[in-house]
Amino acid sequence: MTNDERVRVEFQLDGGAQALAVGADDTALAVLREHCGRTGTKLGCGHGVCGACAVLVDGESVKTCLLPATALHRRSVTTVEGLAQADRLHPIQRAFMAEDALQCGYCTPGFLIRSASFVDQWRREQGDVAPSRDTIAAALAGHLCRCGAYEQIFAAVASACTGVHDSMDPVVPRYDARVKVEGKAVYTVDVKLAGQLEGRMLRSPHAHAKVVVLDLERARQRPGVKAVLDLRGADAMVRYAGQEIAAVAAIDRHTAEAALRDIEIRYEVFPAAIGMERALADGAALVYPRRSERKLAPNTSEGPLGPLGWTGNLRGPFFFFSVKRRKARAAIERARAGAGTLVEGIWETQVQCHTALEPNAAVARWDDDGGLSVWVSTQAVHRMSHDIATRFGLPQAKVRVFADYVGGGFGGKADFAPSTRAAIELAKLAGAPVRVVLDRREELTVGGLRPAQKFDLALAANEAGELAGMRLTAWGDAGVAIGSVTSSMFRIMYKRAPRDLSDYDVTTHGPPGKPFRGPGGPPAFWALEQAIDQMAIARTIDPVALRRSWDDSPVRTRLYDWVETLDAWTQRGPIAADKGRYRRGVGLAAGGWFYFVQSATKVEVALGPQGVIASTASQDMGNGTRTAIANAVARHFTISPHAVEVRIGDSRLVEGPFSGGSRTTASVVPAADDGAIRLRELLTKAVAAKLGLRQARGEASGIVHADGVLGWAEAFAVAPECSVVGKRVKDQGGFFLPFRVEGLAIGRFLAGSVQVVELEVDTRLGKIRPLRTWAGIGCGRLISPELARSQLQGGIIQGLSYALYEERRLDPRTGQLLTGSLDDYRIAGIGDIPEIHTHFDEAGFEDVRSGTVGLGELVTLAPAACVGNAVMHATGWRPLTLPIRPDRLVEAMKATSQ
Amino acid sequence: MIRFPTSYELAIAGPDEQLRAGGTDWMERRELGLTSANVVDLRDVEAADPIEVDPSTGARLGANLTIATIARHPAIRMHYPALALAAGALATPEIRTVATLGGGLLQRSRCWYYRNPTLRCLKSGGSECLARTGDHLFHVCFDLGPCAAPNPSTLGMALLGYDARIEVVGGRDRTVAELYGDGSSVADHQLLAGEVLSAVHLPPPVVGERGGYRRAIARARAEWPLIEVSTRLQITEGKLALVRVAIGGVAPIPLRLDEVEAALLGQGIDDATLERAAALSTRRCTPLPMTRYKVDMLPTAVFDALCHARDS
Repeated sequence: MTNDERVRVEFQLDGGAQALAVGADDTALAVLREHCGRTGTKLGCGHGVCGACAVLVDGESVKTCLLPATALHRRSVTTVEGLAQADRLHPIQRAFMAEDALQCGYCTPGFLIRSASFVDQWRREQGDVAPSRDTIAAALAGHLCRCGAYEQIFAAVASACTGVHDSMDPVVPRYDARVKVEGKAVYTVDVKLAGQLEGRMLRSPHAHAKVVVLDLERARQRPGVKAVLDLRGADAMVRYAGQEIAAVAAIDRHTAEAALRDIEIRYEVFPAAIGMERALADGAALVYPRRSERKLAPNTSEGPLGPLGWTGNLRGPFFFFSVKRRKARAAIERARAGAGTLVEGIWETQVQCHTALEPNAAVARWDDDGGLSVWVSTQAVHRMSHDIATRFGLPQAKVRVFADYVGGGFGGKADFAPSTRAAIELAKLAGAPVRVVLDRREELTVGGLRPAQKFDLALAANEAGELAGMRLTAWGDAGVAIGSVTSSMFRIMYKRAPRDLSDYDVTTHGPPGKPFRGPGGPPAFWALEQAIDQMAIARTIDPVALRRSWDDSPVRTRLYDWVETLDAWTQRGPIAADKGRYRRGVGLAAGGWFYFVQSATKVEVALGPQGVIASTASQDMGNGTRTAIANAVARHFTISPHAVEVRIGDSRLVEGPFSGGSRTTASVVPAADDGAIRLRELLTKAVAAKLGLRQARGEASGIVHADGVLGWAEAFAVAPECSVVGKRVKDQGGFFLPFRVEGLAIGRFLAGSVQVVELEVDTRLGKIRPLRTWAGIGCGRLISPELARSQLQGGIIQGLSYALYEERRLDPRTGQLLTGSLDDYRIAGIGDIPEIHTHFDEAGFEDVRSGTVGLGELVTLAPAACVGNAVMHATGWRPLTLPIRPDRLVEAMKATSQ
Repeated sequence: MIRFPTSYELAIAGPDEQLRAGGTDWMERRELGLTSANVVDLRDVEAADPIEVDPSTGARLGANLTIATIARHPAIRMHYPALALAAGALATPEIRTVATLGGGLLQRSRCWYYRNPTLRCLKSGGSECLARTGDHLFHVCFDLGPCAAPNPSTLGMALLGYDARIEVVGGRDRTVAELYGDGSSVADHQLLAGEVLSAVHLPPPVVGERGGYRRAIARARAEWPLIEVSTRLQITEGKLALVRVAIGGVAPIPLRLDEVEAALLGQGIDDATLERAAALSTRRCTPLPMTRYKVDMLPTAVFDALCHARDS
């Protein structure tokens, strides 16, 4: 029910007077964003958990998503836009910039507001000293960062408290940090066009049904409604609760939602198969009963899907990555018979949601010239323009996709999402721009998820201690989606031995999976690296020694050297040494990941009136695309990266990479290098001709000529405006395959990681506290060392969060989402993270153009297995099922003590 | 409709009205479609009197005090430490800044079936408890009534340990125990329509009282408790002269553990004694299939909270 009465409120906003009429139900957040233009303040979760919406009210940090707008009356409000005093940044803003305490930047305004109030109060009461980590964690307990910038946030808050950021202008490693700390970065959810309407979608409450009646007429008649859209598929089937049925565009959100309730709809409801076990049971309801329906199944992977057989809800096996299958099976049987060592087990992992703090969102506008402009929170502006053009039968030149700032993605924003389609179609019907933004429950339902996995894994060592065989059967539950492949991970590690690897999809009546940061990786390594650890225990040899003997990777070999210099690892002591309630454990796990390149990547590098401009149709979701390009270009001219104007987030620029598959750095940096060097040559020629320089050649320091050196600043002043397009040249020796798969070249090298975690287990309350972790990474030369460190920290935090807290749960009968809020879908907070120590080994990628590959996915692989191995080391009990919840641990401790 | 009464008397809700204090729970339920009533917003009700503790009569806390105020108030911290600890540990700093004492006591269930906007459970107009036959991983292990969701009020639990009384405008004053009843009702509290909780009365302070608070959660902070425990101890010459143990997160109401209290009264304060008494905390447990772990954890949580009070 809506409440139409308006209430007058008067308040001070960032130093100015505001007087407006608000609704009884309006949140302060909606009023600040929609009516006062303060879009720096963000809607994250909408239920007071993530803190992205914090503002100062009479000097105290308050969450505005739960604050009635009427409560602003006669109060004084400061938003992130008002934190700086007359362009003089608050010390906490400088500290966040200096310490790189932000990635996508979406949660940053909330963190800044709360930190500002904390820092100011702390310094008043305690003086200019750094607070403890725990004090900072307590103060920031009501804030969540999905990118995992917590380690640097600790550093920023502590340093701001000491006063070091009171006046100095810091060195800022992240290219776009300033615009983010000022609250000026415009995300898709912030886009507001003239006459823009709000779109909302009707979703099925049933997991398996057929829509037999859908009458949109009454919704269409509601005043304020401008367009109503039928989103049913041709067969009108519903295959998961939350599936889109219809959409409405109206003058505001309340009207659109009221119109959704006007829609008359009737379902014929069928039994549903919720979860893998039920989907495989005899007589299970089938997700795709007919062969013709199976082509409707969405693809949860980033790669192409090959044809595979189906039996009921079971699709597979996919055994492409096997090597000498029969030999592998024989080795296992020999070990089982006592000749060698056999380790086997069933490992299981949960569904993990991407839940980026900026939800999936789109704003669409059809232009008078027949063109279409779409702002999308996407990881793929270039590909999205192609997909949209194809879908709507438009020339690609007519479709322009923008994504200036993207509030996190992690793989959940790579597809042509129903929200984007709805915005475009509603905008066409309404003849006006339409915005569609998922709320948090929708985001947790359909915004994207990592499939649940089950692994039956066996490793056999022969009497000589060699890996003799590996057998894996993996089942993935990506809901209605297929293509969950994990066996590739079991192929790229410990490569010498035969292996029999099979992946199956189990289709269930759940929302579709999407690629999630290292698709298949964290689940696969959870099983594989624990099995390796168990093999070391079974053979009573050191886990690193075992890995050294089985692992050919030169990158990891150097990381094993490094890990053996760590006291925490070498002094860890025997398994289950502690017998008391609290037990410490140290675990180690390794990881390996592919190196991909979008080989058509181009970066245009130009000299414009203001200096050097670098542009490409890519985007920055917090991964640092802008910074990588700026740093790459800047070093060819010895200028500050901040002096390079980086243009991205626009599909009309030259083709840039999709931010996925850890390809961004390896794609854009070589292209930027190529462009910068060619621009340098062009400028050298032009300037030399103009000034009559002899024997001129362009170098980083300037134009070196017979009579000296002309600095680039002087050269730019006399040079003509000009532009070149840099390309991603092939690696020395080419790529792994001569052809591209979906635009992707597979590099000939694998990145590697080794991680150690130290934790404490409370065996009686079931709580696991990660204390310290050390992560060693080999991904070549670092283009932006601070950002690489931030991304590594963030990946570890996401991995730990996956290991210990995150779990999507559906009601077993209805398939309705139970974990529909960030209260119930738990992600790691700042108080949950260990001290993180990072180590980069930059060697080994010299044949890669620019010597650098990505690390975004690599860094998420080892953490869960690391925790599992550390729990084993602490307690003697090996966790097999994720997450390692308190109830599971308590149960296990009870069982082992009996 | 919305109105802004200036007193609790004027705030008494009519048939289609509901009170809104800080709004931290109310706004979410509104968004979820769990309430459609007209708003009686308590914004303009006069600020609560300053907190004063009288040695013979105790203290009166106005319902619109924020939880942060209670948590940091020197007199509360000194005389009612278990209350201050509970107030300082619940939710997160920015929620405590806005949420009120009254709202905290009367907040509604956090059950994921109740808060699902599509499903209808016992509390939201349906005919069965969906958690009971569905997923009740975080639900009760004292199964006292039709609804399987634990009462979410940390303050209610702490105040139960103080035998606090609530002041009701438009109805009779009652104890906190009466406010929640015996768990056999579906409602989160027993306040009737037309009644307004205006204040909480705390009994006279106990000389030398020590307070404790512990919660079992997966993460470090900011999580609804699997179990929470509030303890009050008075130690005289090494013996326990007063013992109060209240628990939350485990039953449809906050509970007092009389059996643990009785076992400790007059006893010493060594670990073994506390642990033996804490083991009695599970006597009345009636877990659901997925909540047996809470029974396993409860003695430890109680023991921890007893130690916390003893060692403070």
